[in-house]
Amino acid sequence: MKPAERLPVFVTVFAVVCSVVYILAVYKNYALFTYHPATGQFGAGVEKAGPDGPAMYWYGWIATSSIAGAIAGLIACALPRSLARRVWPGFSWAIPLAGIAVLLYILRNYFLH
Amino acid sequence: MVTTVLLIIHGLLAVALLGAITHQALSVWWKVRKPADSFVTRVRAVPATSYANAVVLLYLLTTLLGGIIYPDYRLNVRVVLEQLEMPAANGSFELKEHFAVLGLAMLPAYWYFWRTPLAENYARTRAALTLIIAFIVWWNFLVGHILNNIRGFGS
Repeated sequence: MKPAERLPVFVTVFAVVCSVVYILAVYKNYALFTYHPATGQFGAGVEKAGPDGPAMYWYGWIATSSIAGAIAGLIACALPRSLARRVWPGFSWAIPLAGIAVLLYILRNYFLH
Repeated sequence: MVTTVLLIIHGLLAVALLGAITHQALSVWWKVRKPADSFVTRVRAVPATSYANAVVLLYLLTTLLGGIIYPDYRLNVRVVLEQLEMPAANGSFELKEHFAVLGLAMLPAYWYFWRTPLAENYARTRAALTLIIAFIVWWNFLVGHILNNIRGFGS
């Protein structure tokens, strides 16, 4: 594929994989690293909160999902043209939109009181 | 003090982003068919393409600043909301942080499909991406504003 043909494939696959992996990371806590805001320390992978304060996984989830999205996008760019053409650009909004619905469901208990 | 300054800048960037994405979304989804003769029509009559790069830049900067001040929220605000037994407020912020990332995931696609000259076959994709990002920006702005009101400025 020419570079001009690769870009729409990359951005679409990135949006899909990054969104899906992010929601999986939130649901299963697949954080690439943990941040402890009270002490300002980082730890590799998922670490539990210490006695000093809470642990933050949000940055780690972003790292996990953006790396997965970028790798998947690059792999998709290497696909033969015939396969790459099947990547519907609409997935770039449809999957994140579905992700919004899934997140609302996952977090429903915050609002059902 | 530093966090307060960053929070204000975060809020100002969010206002600019809100304006840009709202103009764009309205101009795409509620097209003007006749010359603009009222305030609302002029809001819709903007050249949508010219907002794309600004939206990308403002979204990145706003999210970056939000990420920088997030630890302070986690330590000083979330705890208070839990003590006040306000789960809906906490849940709204959880959604805010997650929606922000879904917006980041869509941002390269948004940028690409708004590149000029606009490809007609991407018109629906462009419109949908703009609408979803506009929803995220509105949600995040309102939630951030309300939570700030709950906790109290500078407290």
